[in-house]
Formats: sequence, C-alpha cells, structure tokens
Amino acid sequence: MSEKHGKKKTVAEEAEEVRLILSAVSTEVPALIKSIIASVFSEEAGRNMGRAAASFYKELKDGGMPDDIAVRMTQEYIGVFTSLGDLLKHAGKGKVLISPEKGEELGKEIEKLIKEKIAEKKREAEKEEE
Amino acid sequence: MGRARIPLILSVFISAAYVARLLGSLLVIWLTLGWRVRKARRALEKELIKQGMPKQEAKKIGAQYAALKDEAINALKRSIRM
Repeated sequence: MSEKHGKKKTVAEEAEEVRLILSAVSTEVPALIKSIIASVFSEEAGRNMGRAAASFYKELKDGGMPDDIAVRMTQEYIGVFTSLGDLLKHAGKGKVLISPEKGEELGKEIEKLIKEKIAEKKREAEKEEE
Repeated sequence: MGRARIPLILSVFISAAYVARLLGSLLVIWLTLGWRVRKARRALEKELIKQGMPKQEAKKIGAQYAALKDEAINALKRSIRM
C-alpha cells in the first residue's frame, strides 16, 4: 500500500516538474522568437538596411557606374543578407556556396570591370589635360 | 485516493493551459509576421527611392528582402523536424 502511494507521489511530482518547465517555456520561447523577428523584420531594421543599400547604390552612381549595373550590384548586396538561410543550410552540411571555378570566373569578371573603369578614368583625365 | 489525485489533475490542467498559451503566442507571432515584413519592406523601398533608385528596381529589392521571411519560416520548420 505504501509502495503504491509512493509511486503515485512520483507521478504527481513529475507532473509538477512538467508544469514548471512549461510555465518557463511558454513565456521565454515566444519572447525569444519575438526579439529575433524584431531584429530582422521591423520598420527600423528595414529602414537601416534600406539606408545601407541606398548609400551603396549612391556611391556606385557617383562613381560613374551605369544604372543597370549599379542596380544589379545593389541587388547582390541585399542578397548577402537575404541568403543567410542558404548560408546556414550549407554551413551545416559543410558545403561551399561558390565553387572554386565559379569564384575564379567571378574574380576575372570583377578584375576586367575594374580595369575598364580605370582606363575610362585615365582617358577622361587625359582629355581634361588637353 | 481521490485527494491524492487532485494535485496531479491540477498540474495536468495547468500544463495544458501553458501549452495553449505557448501555441497562442506562436500563432500571434506568425500572424503579425506578414504585417511586420510589409512595414519593413516599405521602409526599405522608401529609402532606396529617396536615393534615386527607379521605383521598379526598388520593388524588386524589396521583394528580395521579403523572401527572407519564407527562409526564416523554412529554417524554423527544419529545426522543428530535427
């Protein structure tokens, strides 16, 4: 009889423990999720990201970059933030996001664009001197 | 015997209430997420347009930002499945 009573007490204790855990989880987990979401999806966060992207775009435009390329580069800039999910997904599996071949290709393309830009600037400077 | 069961039943009922509260909070978060994303997206587009970006392009970038919401939800789903 006393053994039976002891077993019942254990079940009651376990239920009490579960209740305590759930009381903590039901308040802490939503608060945690809310704060994570607010840091990414809030008017302030959107405005800040917009400011960063806008100043990036403005710098490119002021530097004489054609409109379509400036827009494309700004899209890629924003893409860095928005592809964080992919980054985490691949990081967990130990994969790389850009293959070495594609990275090399991209590097060459950037180098070519920079060289073209420098040559253009030189030509402009020479014209001004004349 | 009946008296011994009372704390157990009480704990079960209170636990169920906590679970309901947790689910309710998560539902509210999920329902307000779309609204938050729209607000953030509008603020982002406004800043881009202010700096002289064409409206259409700004909207494209805004859509890219809004897609982050789906990624976040997918990441959450994946973590739950784990």
